[in-house]
Amino acid sequence: MFEKLFLKISITIWLTIIIVVGFVFPIVDFPQHWYEFPLIPGLEDKARNIFFHVPMAWVTVVAFVMSMVYAIQYLKKRTSEYDIRSVAAAELGMLFCVLATVTGAIWAKFNWGTFWNWDPRQTSIFILLLIYAAYFALRSAIDEEQKKATLSAVYSIIAGVTVPFFIFVMPRMMKGLHPGSKGDSEGAGPVLEFKMAPNMLVIFFASLIGFTLLYWWMYSVSVRLKRLEEKV
Amino acid sequence: MYELLENNQLYIVLTIILTIWFGFIGYLFRLERKIKKLEEKK
Repeated sequence: MFEKLFLKISITIWLTIIIVVGFVFPIVDFPQHWYEFPLIPGLEDKARNIFFHVPMAWVTVVAFVMSMVYAIQYLKKRTSEYDIRSVAAAELGMLFCVLATVTGAIWAKFNWGTFWNWDPRQTSIFILLLIYAAYFALRSAIDEEQKKATLSAVYSIIAGVTVPFFIFVMPRMMKGLHPGSKGDSEGAGPVLEFKMAPNMLVIFFASLIGFTLLYWWMYSVSVRLKRLEEKV
Repeated sequence: MYELLENNQLYIVLTIILTIWFGFIGYLFRLERKIKKLEEKK
């Protein structure tokens, strides 16, 4: 009990620090101190969005892959526990996917001029939204619990396989507005090329970890609730 | 509104953080609705 409470308090403090730091650390032309972010021409203060927008997309991948892994487990063991875990992960994946899309669209409006540009990464996340919307449509269309769990597990595996392709591969194969697109002079993007300032990189990864842990917390609550729903 | 955000870029970051915040609050509402249903069943 104490350990769990300690973990929850730690996640809360961790993410609060990320939000405060991401918001208030100054952006200057020539950073002299550890707490100063370098000015990125064209992005300026909007560069801070990377600490909040990218983790949404990252957690989407984690959640959808987890949903796939539990779907495989369900097909192997046929216990409702794995179906519960799989659907809880997919639901949260959908939430984070919507948040990644909306936060990205807001950022796009101020950097690229319009909310939606059909950039490969925007297109791929839109396709993911459609794929997982169909997953929930499939689940709600079947009444028999075992049939629902089996069919949605098979669908979740097929959908899960497409996630790394749509998030990591396709946007790098095509020309686009996002960093890391094909033909980008920066290469595979500021994170993979380690071109981000070290202090920004630390906060970026801390944010990825923080939001992943928050996802884990939300996921645990959701699984517990679904177990109760099954019992009542 | 657009000009306000365009001229104060920190507000764009704030908008993005608030979007995420409202997303989580929405999820919390959904959980609570489910719990209420369970309580009514019992």
